[in-house]
Amino acid sequence: MKTKKIMSFALASLMSAAFFSGCGNTTDNSAETTTASAGDTTTAAETTTAGDTATLDGNGATIKVLTHRTDRLADGGDGSLEEMTKAFEEKYNCKVEYQGFTDYETDVSTMLSTNDYGDVLMIPNTVKLVDLANFFEPLGTYEEMDAKYKWANYKMYDNKVYGVSHGGTASGILYNKKIWSDAGITELPKTPDEFIADLKLIKEKNPDTIPYYTEYADASWTLVQWQSLVVSASGDPNYQNRLLENKEDLFVDGDGYWETYELMFKLFSTPEVLETDHSTTQWEASKAALGEGKIATIVLGSWAISQFQQAAGDNAADVGYMPVPITAKDGKQYAQTSTDYNLGVNKNSKNIELAKAYVTWFADESGFAAKEGMIPPLKNAALPSNLEAFSDCVLFSETVAPDELTGKFNEIDLDSGVGTWNGDSENFKIKLAEAAFAGKGEAEMKKIFEEANAKWAASRDKILADYYASQQ
Amino acid sequence: MAKNKAHKKQSFFEWCRGYTGQKYIITVLFLLVPLALLITFTFVPAANMFVYSFQSRDQFGINPEWVGFDNYKTVFTDSDYLSTFKNSLYYLFGSFIQLGLALIIAEILCSKIKFKNFYKATVFFPWMMNGVAVALIFRSFFMKGDGITNTDGALNSIITFFGGNAVSWLSDPKIVNFCLVFASIWRYIGFDIVMFIGAIQSINPDIYEAAELDGANAWQRFWYIIFPGIKPVIGLQMILAIKGAMSVFEIPYVITNGQFGTTTFVIKTIETAFGYKKVGLASAMAVVLLIIIIIVTIVQKLLFNEEADNASMKSEKLFKKKKELI
Repeated sequence: MKTKKIMSFALASLMSAAFFSGCGNTTDNSAETTTASAGDTTTAAETTTAGDTATLDGNGATIKVLTHRTDRLADGGDGSLEEMTKAFEEKYNCKVEYQGFTDYETDVSTMLSTNDYGDVLMIPNTVKLVDLANFFEPLGTYEEMDAKYKWANYKMYDNKVYGVSHGGTASGILYNKKIWSDAGITELPKTPDEFIADLKLIKEKNPDTIPYYTEYADASWTLVQWQSLVVSASGDPNYQNRLLENKEDLFVDGDGYWETYELMFKLFSTPEVLETDHSTTQWEASKAALGEGKIATIVLGSWAISQFQQAAGDNAADVGYMPVPITAKDGKQYAQTSTDYNLGVNKNSKNIELAKAYVTWFADESGFAAKEGMIPPLKNAALPSNLEAFSDCVLFSETVAPDELTGKFNEIDLDSGVGTWNGDSENFKIKLAEAAFAGKGEAEMKKIFEEANAKWAASRDKILADYYASQQ
Repeated sequence: MAKNKAHKKQSFFEWCRGYTGQKYIITVLFLLVPLALLITFTFVPAANMFVYSFQSRDQFGINPEWVGFDNYKTVFTDSDYLSTFKNSLYYLFGSFIQLGLALIIAEILCSKIKFKNFYKATVFFPWMMNGVAVALIFRSFFMKGDGITNTDGALNSIITFFGGNAVSWLSDPKIVNFCLVFASIWRYIGFDIVMFIGAIQSINPDIYEAAELDGANAWQRFWYIIFPGIKPVIGLQMILAIKGAMSVFEIPYVITNGQFGTTTFVIKTIETAFGYKKVGLASAMAVVLLIIIIIVTIVQKLLFNEEADNASMKSEKLFKKKKELI
């Protein structure tokens, strides 16, 4: 509760700083203070600090929320998001309007060049951390937020947190439990070789199933999902920072990047466990196919679980999620958890306080993440049931980069053209996959790794020149 | 104008109400809308692009840095960028086939056949279709089924019906580009055909008559009358084809997303701008493409004008000769 007090104090002090605009200017506690006039800031501030029940009165104001979850909106989805929000609207006497985007990242990134990008929005990952303050309102310091929420460091700069997770995911692999157990597999694979052997076994036992579906037609983003396995495979929360600090190569035999993409290469070099035509895979159809058991396995983030369960209908219980089949050097199996989009507040919003209240409500009370099978952002919340297979794994989230390295990994990544999170047509992932499909051997894989290493090293030494100089 | 000067005392208001005034006002008003749209959506962004190409900036444009010609240097020295032009060769090669085929079809459609207009509409129709729709059609056309999640597309169905083996048309780097070029030909040939039909029909029918009297056969008629007559149009279509081959985008982007070695310069530009957030560099790439296309256009103008003069002179001469002979 300490954090809540700090939060309400921060809120109150902001209020008394006379930051008023639009309709959000009245903060009287209607339950206790009946005499307080609308503009009386001192009373309002005091009552807000007074108790945990203190609420903000939106006075019927409307806030606009930009979301990527079009599947949960009334317009084009099941409307459960609006349904859920009624509680918030009642509590704060306001209206919440949702605007959904099917291509969220691109559309909202374009909107960011204006001032009009809703009141609350998922912070697009195109915004660099250093630029966060140009677009978003700080929600608290790292210490405050970290005490309450997981992944507080994801959208943080200069110790100020700009976004709260809307739900977290664990990295792993989506699979059909029934097909796997029907093939006689009782224990989930722990190494790449076991994983591929299991897939072969599935094909043997059930020839009408595609053991692994590449989703290659949508490779520009589906292949990128492999990247989410990298840190888990390394078993080191500090992996990506360590690469920079110790001037290590990106692909080193036995470490995260190498192991993950070697697994991908080996898997894609085994045509009997894949679909026949890689360029005409169908994302939408694959959702139902996995539930029906036509497809046994796909590498996807845990955000996909609920979508696949929904498409599976009666077979929803068969959709399972397994940890990364790579054992780290110390013999343990690790799983990295990370946040999906983070909710941020537009700094040009006319209802900043109300927007902040929405963010807090969404993370603390809405229960959206748990309902979607995502890891709830609150620190003390339990793991969702669909992640039960992870009970033997060590769960961790990545450590924050030290200040002098903030955003540098990303900067090097893009500058070098390696694009660990990209799926462009000349990306190393695409090259690896196509080399594997063409049956080129491991020599080709190593060549692609070396190319990426060389590009990476050149860019790293350029961008971190000052940093390395200061370290000596 | 001289008249206006004579009436020195005519006020501006009166001038506005007069014929010249009205003419100017209406001209300006009518031009205002298209010009405003053209300037807002074409010239201003294009001018910005030139400016951006000398900067290092991301897509939000916060604190852009001036880097001089660095972006252009990267485009020309880093082999990752210009090498994507090599796939344009497939399309260039395809466009020659396309022109030849279009010429034959146009020639057939100009002869005396039934349902001429129906055929014309049919061959022209793909050109009017949305490029993305065309791409989606061909994606399912070339599909290879595994019997589990998807079925064979039209092409593989026909092949297997006749006892052949289905082919992964779009997943084989050796053939995928030819498939894409095929889709591209299917889409753009209609425009060529219509242009050629127009050109063939504009040839003076007297010349045909004269040729017939001389006993020319179909090939001679084509080679000595039609070909010289429509040469300028062929030249124009060829230049357009080169431009198209260089900036090909929709078909590879939607069908294969640039995978299996089908990426093109424009796809690379988009990925540079929005994948790697190097908007400055991508602008430089766009400027390079623009300059190449401007050069090709200038070449086309020079050739076109020359050939147009030559062609008209030739056919005139020919006509005169025939007349003399008659």
